[in-house]
Amino acid sequence: MRDLAQRLLEYEAFAAEASEPLGSPVLRVYEKLRQSLGEFVGVAGFQSLAFRALTQAKSEAPGLWAVRLAVDGSLQGLGEFQPQQGEFEPQPGFGKDQACEGGVVLIARLLGLLLIFLGEAITLSLLRMTWPGEVLDDRSSAYGRKA
Amino acid sequence: MSTQDRVKINKLPTGVPGLDEIVGGGLPEFSFNIIAGAPGSGKTTLAHQFVFANATPERPALYFTVLGESAIKMLRYQQQYTFFDPAMLPGSIRFINLSQVVLEKDLGAVLEQITKEVEKANPAVVVVDSFRTMVRKPQSDMDLQSFIQRLALFLASWQATTFLIGEYAEDELRDNPIFTVADGLFWLRQTAERNSIVRKLQVIKLRGQDSVPGLHTFRITDAGVQAFSRTFGLIGHLKDPPSHRRLSFGIAELDKMLGGGVREGDSVLVAGSSGTGKSVLATQFIAEGIRQGEPGIVAVFEERPQAYAERATSLGLDLETPQKDGKLSILYLRPLDLSVDETMHSILDAVQKIGAKRLVIDSLAGFEMALSPGFRADFRESLYRMIFALTGIGVTILSTVEVDESFTEFPFSTYSISFLTDDIIRLRYVSIDGQLRKIMVVIKMRGGNHAKDIREYEITDKGVVILGKRLTNYQGLISGIPVRSDRPGSTEESSLDTGIEHKN
Repeated sequence: MRDLAQRLLEYEAFAAEASEPLGSPVLRVYEKLRQSLGEFVGVAGFQSLAFRALTQAKSEAPGLWAVRLAVDGSLQGLGEFQPQQGEFEPQPGFGKDQACEGGVVLIARLLGLLLIFLGEAITLSLLRMTWPGEVLDDRSSAYGRKA
Repeated sequence: MSTQDRVKINKLPTGVPGLDEIVGGGLPEFSFNIIAGAPGSGKTTLAHQFVFANATPERPALYFTVLGESAIKMLRYQQQYTFFDPAMLPGSIRFINLSQVVLEKDLGAVLEQITKEVEKANPAVVVVDSFRTMVRKPQSDMDLQSFIQRLALFLASWQATTFLIGEYAEDELRDNPIFTVADGLFWLRQTAERNSIVRKLQVIKLRGQDSVPGLHTFRITDAGVQAFSRTFGLIGHLKDPPSHRRLSFGIAELDKMLGGGVREGDSVLVAGSSGTGKSVLATQFIAEGIRQGEPGIVAVFEERPQAYAERATSLGLDLETPQKDGKLSILYLRPLDLSVDETMHSILDAVQKIGAKRLVIDSLAGFEMALSPGFRADFRESLYRMIFALTGIGVTILSTVEVDESFTEFPFSTYSISFLTDDIIRLRYVSIDGQLRKIMVVIKMRGGNHAKDIREYEITDKGVVILGKRLTNYQGLISGIPVRSDRPGSTEESSLDTGIEHKN
């Protein structure tokens, strides 16, 4: 799941460079998930999933301490994110302040919850609504290893 | 108006085995339907089956979820069913959550949201689950009526077949405007009968289509909802013309007693107390059929198929080979909460699969015990429908029934079902010369003459063997305690009417 999260972040980082960037890759991935899943599970449904994912992610990445969820499920306080030493895992296409471990963990946790509740087939179907198949279909990394 | 001038209403597959027949061939396209029932009655599953059977990328299905079961949990559970194809999401089936607009806004906004999504997707199928929760907020009757009216009109105009799902109680049928607007109303019931759950489906209303009235049993399995029509899927099946063929038991003397054998398409009842050889006779009947190239089905309720076949082997009858060759099927049906309709479905499947000509039901008592207590009350009526349906397609049925041995009565069955049968063969114990011996008599053969003889028989390693001539030296044989009568030429025919009470 972590690999898939990382690939989505890389894709969004690349897209941000190619077009007009709107926030960090983490925010871009998160917002896209919020939009597509929000339609599917409702605002409250998404908010509860995101809350669970954020709680789990905070225990792995303490740097997310300042991140909060708004009532509509959007992320707040991501800008206050202070990467801890060793949290960076620089990837090609990631800016210094974007390639943060906390963001990867949060997105991975959110995707992990979808996988738990809906299974791989439906999760990928939902993600395909937003991202191109080639970003998702790299089985060697996406589902071959655990998050 | 001539038939060709009338608008043709396309019938859509329901995706629910058995339901197409109940609704008259399929669900009318563009109809506005309600699926009502208590929680857990299978409403959502039924709607999902319809959606998965009809949605396409070009004409997708929109599945609006409202308050109640969340979409995530719904899909988590629904994907366990075999009909669920994840590849159809989201291209052909889209789930849209309307909770927020329902909670925060009025019905006008809900309609606006639905309208927007329908215009965007051009769906063939629209489901609102649960519609009941959508309209539960206090609002005037006029608002509600207008909302329902506009929703129904809009969805029909957009050529969508619609299902609104709701937890309605039956006493709401009279006053709720939704039921007036709906073209189709499907009611799912689930009741506990002792330790069993009985599920029944009723098509209360279906405009423009000839649905099968009454309550139909349904079951929810890992394949989803499966409905069992009261007509057993035989609507439109022409009844086979009466046959003049006689089917042999493989027991020459018995065939003679039956005037040459059982008439093809008859229902035969073999009645007797425990150990009189009912099952042996039934086994010989089925084995003889196979020997003559007539495939057969044995529905057993009291022993396993293997044990049944082994017992046949001890009589010199091979039931193993025909099973391997697809000429015989031994069905073991004993889940204890079956309905006759389900049993019938299993039997019909087997009949059609192997082209069976003979069917043995061994025994009716076991059959009744296999049914849910709620269905036992309807046993006679169900049995009637089953026998009528099967004999109608030319299957000859032999049922065994255990009767209590009585020395004051001569009952044919404890079910008062002898009127359902064309032929009755009665087996019983009789005390003669210090021995408990067995006698057999053909009580009735509808549409044919039969011997009036009372014959003694034995069960040997060759099965039922009828001994000697008819018993002429006893009076009162059928009472079980005959009196020796050495009058020359005396027969037992007269003893049938000597004060012994006949019970049907």
